[in-house]
Amino acid sequence: MKDTISFDLAILGGGPAGMTAAIYAAQANINTILLEESTTGGLVNSTNLVLNFPSKKAVNGMSLMAEVREQIDALNVPVEEICEIEHLDLTGGVKIIETDEAVYEVRAVILATGRKPIELDPPMDCDQIHYCSICDGGVYEGKRVVVVGGGNSAFDESIYLLILGIRHITMLEIMDDFIAAKTSQDNLFSTGKAVGKTGVKLAGIHQEDGRLKFVVAEHCKTGEKEQIDADGIFVFIGQKPSSRLFANHVNLDPQGYILADADMKTSVKGVFSAGDINQKTFRQITTAMSDGTIAALSAERYLRI
Amino acid sequence: MFTQLTSGNCMAAIADTEQGVLIGYKELCPHCLNMEKMLVKYSKTHPDISLFRLNIEESPDTFKELGGERPPTIFVIKNNSVVAQKAGLMNPKEMKAFYQRS
Repeated sequence: MKDTISFDLAILGGGPAGMTAAIYAAQANINTILLEESTTGGLVNSTNLVLNFPSKKAVNGMSLMAEVREQIDALNVPVEEICEIEHLDLTGGVKIIETDEAVYEVRAVILATGRKPIELDPPMDCDQIHYCSICDGGVYEGKRVVVVGGGNSAFDESIYLLILGIRHITMLEIMDDFIAAKTSQDNLFSTGKAVGKTGVKLAGIHQEDGRLKFVVAEHCKTGEKEQIDADGIFVFIGQKPSSRLFANHVNLDPQGYILADADMKTSVKGVFSAGDINQKTFRQITTAMSDGTIAALSAERYLRI
Repeated sequence: MFTQLTSGNCMAAIADTEQGVLIGYKELCPHCLNMEKMLVKYSKTHPDISLFRLNIEESPDTFKELGGERPPTIFVIKNNSVVAQKAGLMNPKEMKAFYQRS
């Protein structure tokens, strides 16, 4: 039998939006709990170097998020990590959130579950396919990798892979052009350790004894196939909203992003949303923190009335 | 919660453990942090299992000797030896199943 615990506010998601909301809520003396399915920090944890965060000229993403977490802990906001939400009811005045550990009854909720990397479709069963260069890049020192994707993330992560000592990178982009900033492309290709192929898709992989040997790239227009030797594959083809949990609760756009107003109110009374999960144009650490601030202040106003 | 191991005491600690889990990790690795917190949660319902951690950047040779390739790698220790290993992410339910079948 799980304990039932009451709070004023539950924040789902512990990235920069959720943690900022927690700070503001705690400062307003709102009894708050933060629930996170993984660890606090969100996608920022996977960013090697953050260069545009005010007050920090250059900072490791995980270190930056650890500092924010320290602030939350200092404010005594309870945080449940590695938290599996088994049931959600956002309809009434009292919202119910059941996790694998407890049942929470709260009066307001902030949804800040962010986004996740898009995985290869169809999935390929291979231990050498990765989505995080910080996590998995080091093992490929002196080896060859294929990077799938052609946006800013793909190029920034590729530059980081070269810093780790990867010998050679082949970039595969399904569109006819790379969409990354020209400076990022120049930075990567000027190393002489990376080549780019556009208008091609990853069509297959070949493994021997559980080890990747080569990938098969298919030219989209001609159907011609090409074999590229590789020890590992890194995939950076964008991100998708983590909104599956509440898809039937609040209004979403066709892509699955929450439709929130300027005060971060969703279509459900007492439910707010913040950060990358919201439909918006720009997704930065600072914009997520801004959303988190507004969501917490709106929640406070809602709870006080 | 975790006993920190080094190249100097890792093998002896394994040889002295009936039931345990060792994580090979590195600093500033988000998946490693995730797995450490998962193990903390897992251990709440399995207090009889000892938890160990090995910094693979400080002890790369020991990590290789154990058969590890990339962090985070979980090693299951039963009856004084490593009986299984798995790299990557797991949730507590997957960890429970992995430990049980090892």
